[in-house]
Amino acid sequence: MATTLAPAPAGARGSAPEPGHRPRARRTAVRYLPLVPAVVLLGVFMLGPVVWSFYGSFTNAALTGRNALAPSFVGLQNYQELLADPEFPKSLWLTVLFVLASAVVGQNVLGLTLAMLLRSGAPAVRTVVSTLVVVAWVLPEIVASFALYAFFHDAGTLNALLGAVGIEGPTWLYETPMLAVILANVWRGTAFSMLVYSAAVAEVPPELTEAARMDGATARQRLVWVILPTIRRSVSTNLMLTTLQTLSVFTLIYVMTGGGPGTDSSTLPILAYQEAFKFAQVGYGTAIATVMLLIGAVFSVVYIRSLRPEVD
Amino acid sequence: MARDATLAPAAPAPAAPALAAPGGRRLRATTTAVLALIGVCFLLPLGWILLASFDARGTLVVRLPQEWSLQNFAEVLTPELAWRPLWNSFLLSAGTGLLTVVAAVLAAYPLSRYQSRLNKPFLYTVLFGTCLPITAMMVPVYSLFVRLGQLDSLAGTIAFMAATSLPMAIWMTKNFMDSVPVSLEEAAWTDGATAMTALRRVVLPLMRPGVAVVFIFVFVQAWGNFFVPFVLLLSPEKQPAAVSIFAFFGSYGTVAYGQLAAYSLAYSVPALALYVLVSRLTGSSFALAGAVKG
Amino acid sequence: MRQVRLTAAAAAALLVLTAGACSSGGAGGDGGATTIKIAYQKFGNFTQADELFRDVKAEYEDANPDVTIELVPIEASQNDYFTKLALMNRSPSTAPDLMYEDTFMIKSDVEAGYLLPLDEHLAGWDEWDQFVEGAKAAGLGDDGKTYGVPMGTDTRGLWFNTEVLAKAGLPADWAPTSWDDVLEAARAIKAADPEVIPLNVYSGKPMGEASTMQGFEMLLYGTDDRLYDEDSGKWVVGSQGFRDALGFIETIYSEGLAPTPQQALDPNLGSVVSGEWLPQGRLGIALDGSWMPGSWLEGGEAPWPEWSEVMGTAAMPTQDGGEPGAVSMSGGWTLAIGAGTQDPDVAFDVLTHALDKENALRFAVENSQIAVREDVAAEPEYLEANPTTKFFSDLVEVTHFRPATSDYAQVSNAIQVAMEAVMTGQQSVEEAAAAYDAAVVDIVGEQNTVEG
Repeated sequence: MATTLAPAPAGARGSAPEPGHRPRARRTAVRYLPLVPAVVLLGVFMLGPVVWSFYGSFTNAALTGRNALAPSFVGLQNYQELLADPEFPKSLWLTVLFVLASAVVGQNVLGLTLAMLLRSGAPAVRTVVSTLVVVAWVLPEIVASFALYAFFHDAGTLNALLGAVGIEGPTWLYETPMLAVILANVWRGTAFSMLVYSAAVAEVPPELTEAARMDGATARQRLVWVILPTIRRSVSTNLMLTTLQTLSVFTLIYVMTGGGPGTDSSTLPILAYQEAFKFAQVGYGTAIATVMLLIGAVFSVVYIRSLRPEVD
Repeated sequence: MARDATLAPAAPAPAAPALAAPGGRRLRATTTAVLALIGVCFLLPLGWILLASFDARGTLVVRLPQEWSLQNFAEVLTPELAWRPLWNSFLLSAGTGLLTVVAAVLAAYPLSRYQSRLNKPFLYTVLFGTCLPITAMMVPVYSLFVRLGQLDSLAGTIAFMAATSLPMAIWMTKNFMDSVPVSLEEAAWTDGATAMTALRRVVLPLMRPGVAVVFIFVFVQAWGNFFVPFVLLLSPEKQPAAVSIFAFFGSYGTVAYGQLAAYSLAYSVPALALYVLVSRLTGSSFALAGAVKG
Repeated sequence: MRQVRLTAAAAAALLVLTAGACSSGGAGGDGGATTIKIAYQKFGNFTQADELFRDVKAEYEDANPDVTIELVPIEASQNDYFTKLALMNRSPSTAPDLMYEDTFMIKSDVEAGYLLPLDEHLAGWDEWDQFVEGAKAAGLGDDGKTYGVPMGTDTRGLWFNTEVLAKAGLPADWAPTSWDDVLEAARAIKAADPEVIPLNVYSGKPMGEASTMQGFEMLLYGTDDRLYDEDSGKWVVGSQGFRDALGFIETIYSEGLAPTPQQALDPNLGSVVSGEWLPQGRLGIALDGSWMPGSWLEGGEAPWPEWSEVMGTAAMPTQDGGEPGAVSMSGGWTLAIGAGTQDPDVAFDVLTHALDKENALRFAVENSQIAVREDVAAEPEYLEANPTTKFFSDLVEVTHFRPATSDYAQVSNAIQVAMEAVMTGQQSVEEAAAAYDAAVVDIVGEQNTVEG
């Protein structure tokens, strides 16, 4: 689980074996030889794209036309255009909206709610509901996207249900594309938060909640004053992880709305894809990718700092 | 990325101990009702895939088929449409899983067994890598692959997918390895075995379920990945099911809903089955879930 | 011809000798010494290219056992096809040897260095004389060399379902003479049956070049303005015609005379129009291409035997009926050879086989193309293939071609963006036109634009 991010207590690490009498530096080098495959892979395929992203964002590389044959270095031009392009702030805002609404609020609140409810519902219902939530999350993302496309389509399940009670539903994917993809991402990703919070809540010592109950605290008060403070580390970890996951959501939006209508649901990953591949402006698309990378890096650093006491 | 790291079992939520209290029954009824409502919201989109795939005249609405039929499956499960892409998915996922596990186990050993100033910076870097939105950066990845001559190469795509799942895999593997007591290896060392022999003979057999968990989790992640092969694999005969099903959706999705659902179902079953397997594995051998501290 | 074959054989023999020494870059075929990779589009109702190349592969491999033909059918909508093809071309390891290339992409792809000039090969091909001059011109790069051999051309006009029009009181030989006539007919259809979609004009990004060409340019070229001033070689910005054409789009979408924007933004719309809406009488009028019967003919993807009785055709009128009264646009597809091909001679030989008289005739008939070979155009089989051939061939007299510049592909994208902004109501006509002007200045540079 998310837990695996926090390293286990270092108890197992212990007395280092002493297989030989080689000089120390050399011994260390030999010992760390097994890291090489991982380092090579990470160096070429993780660091590589990152470095390439910065480099590519300073060129006018294209998919067709003369800039495809001989891309040239254009300095900050892509970034200047980015700032001048009205699509960029709009896309940035849509990305923030998407992350805030679907991850920070949607998945976290629903995940915590489910974690709490799952403690006390009827056992059969509990099993069925948690299974459904997890299935939505284990499904391949493209399949989940189809399922939600069908659900929100104007000839789909949602409008059929609304129609049954006499409401003519809107064309969700067209009139309210952001709402549709936000709800879709909540559907798709809540399981993660639910699992994290279920595990965290299970670890809250029962005496604490019991004592609060004896003192006359209501369920809500117990949640706010006892449980949340106790699991706050899980909350912050989970907020960070869901934010980062949601930042890179592409498939769900691409399948459901294609970023449209117009650019009304083009978050940064969609915008980067469209600019680079649909409009053949690879350099420009790379600049957008670089911006995303920087946003992700900032979140990563904040996240790692929050974990730090435990790693040390 | 990190999403998949959590491919560990749902912690069976212990029932709250305070249900005997007065009002508990009503609370429980309300809770159950709210849960059921949420469950229905999650069920409806899922139900569509299940029901439409058996519906001879599937639409976009979830409904009981008037005419149950396996026709949709018969139409899509042809070698060209489904079997070859599914086989490609398997190659891609198994290759990614193997490469990741091998690299992760090798890397985890020194990190778990030796104390060094190198460990912490390395682990921080890996953790940092876990968080980067690499899949959102497919544009520079594409350009890099053009430069490396690895475009449309299964091996190159596997290497990239392995690299992106490696940080999480290293963390998981190291944690599994930390839980294998070092004392067991000491016997091997006194016999003069090298570190690698000790890893192979002593440590690995003890953490077999852990390795299986890492493998399956990487496998499932690769199985479901759409964006990476969509950009990096171009020729139709190399494309995995995720991409071919998208092409199907584009070509016929707006007409043949039943077939789309049937294909989706067939493609999802392995992922779901492996998830169940990994839940079993972790549930019995490793209490992973309890380790959520955050 | 014989010379080409000989050279090809020699080249193939050479390759056999060297194949052992250096591993070939292409995907190793089953013992074939030379592999020729053909990339083409296969999508929805468009399977004619796939069928053609499958047969070409079988025939050619039979006759030339040392050559393997690898088919790369790209399953993507038209816009995505260009993306995928460009993605393949960008890397030498994936670039195809032969590709199905839209004429409007040629100049741009030539500049990108993706295509091989064919002049030397064409000089030795005795059938090249059979190709009509206008079609040949579509395969030229900016340097005056030929980079693509045309497979067929097309024109565009109004298709209408006579049964739907009859209900709205419109005659079976309906012939509008201005945009207003078209709009009035659409309104009449809507009034007669609100369930029917009165008029389809492709718009927006998902339909890609179809939006620009079948949709926007069919309107714009019916005004007094143009996209590009051929004489000065500059792009026209700020023209009244541009705003009027956008205004037409705005009118039909805001008045509900068109599909709902959600329907219109489905990249699969082309197949839906030809395969479902028109045959089922759910659409009145479609501004569409001459190739439409391709999917209705026997053996097509949506056979519709009654189509020739139900469907009527009319030329798209100019805005106010001004000279010459009607407007059409012509494009077409070519076969082009990748610049990086290991074996230009074999690739060209495959090309000549794929476009010989027999295959060209077959493609023209099955895909309802306007023939570009004189010997094919004279064939009774072609002339009798479908009753609309003459109508659409005659439109050649009023037809226009897209600006033949390497910037066109990008300008076309800007047009689609403007259309989508207007059809979805995100921008007014003025705003969208202004955004288009800014985009064009960005693409071609201020000095290459002229006020319209």
